Amino acid sequence: MQFSYEVNDSYAEVKGVGRLNMVAAPKLREVVAEVVAGGSSRVVVNLSETDFMDSSGLGALIGCLKAARQAGGDLRIAGVQPQVKMVLELTNMDRVLTAYPTAEAAFGDD
Amino acid sequence: MTEVIAHRGFHGPSNEEAIEAIHNELDALWDDASFVPDMDRMTFATAVIEAAANIVQHALPAAEKPVEIDVEISVWPARLVARVSAFNAREPFADDMQASMPDSEAESGRGLALIEALVTTVTFERQDGTNTWILTRNT
Repeated sequence: MQFSYEVNDSYAEVKGVGRLNMVAAPKLREVVAEVVAGGSSRVVVNLSETDFMDSSGLGALIGCLKAARQAGGDLRIAGVQPQVKMVLELTNMDRVLTAYPTAEAAFGDD
Repeated sequence: MTEVIAHRGFHGPSNEEAIEAIHNELDALWDDASFVPDMDRMTFATAVIEAAANIVQHALPAAEKPVEIDVEISVWPARLVARVSAFNAREPFADDMQASMPDSEAESGRGLALIEALVTTVTFERQDGTNTWILTRNT
C-alpha cells in the first residue's frame, strides 16, 4: 500500500492506495504520527482508493484517531468503499470513525 | 453430485509476503468464478485474510521448524470454502481464541469476532502439529 499526505490550511489529508492490512497498518501509524508531529492534528484519512481493510488496518486507524485527539485535534475518514464500510459496521466502529463523502467535507462543518 | 467449480491455493513461510500472495489468489479465484456475488466475495475474502493474518501474527513454532501457512480456497455451487492452516505450529492459547468484540478504544483483538460475523461456519482443527481453520460461507 502506498501512502501520501498533503497539509492544507485547516487539516492534513493522508491518502492510502491499496490494501490496508497487517502489512500496511504500521506504515499508516508512522505516516499519521509524522503528520501530527509536524503540527497538523486535524487529519483526514482519504480511503477512496483503499479497496480493503482488515482488523489490523482498523486497529491502526483507531490508534491514529487517539494520537490526533491527544494532540488536540481529530481524525476523520472519507471516501469509504464498500468493503471498508462493511468492516466498520460489523465491528460497530462506524459510530467512532464517522465517514465523510470527501476529504473536503470531513472538516467542512468546523 | 456437486463439484468444485474453482480452486486456488498458497503454501509458504508464515510472513507478511504470504498475506499479499493469499490476497492475490483470492482475487484470481473470482476470475474463475465470476458468478459469485460481490457481497460474498467481499465477506469471504475478508474472513480468509483475517484467519491468515491471525496465523502470521500469533502462530508460534512447535519446535525448530518455522511455521508455514497453507491456504486452500474453493468455490462450490452454493458454498465458498477455505482451509487456512498453520504447519509446525503450537496449539493456540485459549486467550488467542477469544471471539468477542473488544471495546471501541482497543487497537487489536477484533479478528476472530469479525471472522465469525463474516462466514456461515468456523471450525478449528488440530491434527499432527497443524492448526486448521475451516471457513465456509453459503452463497
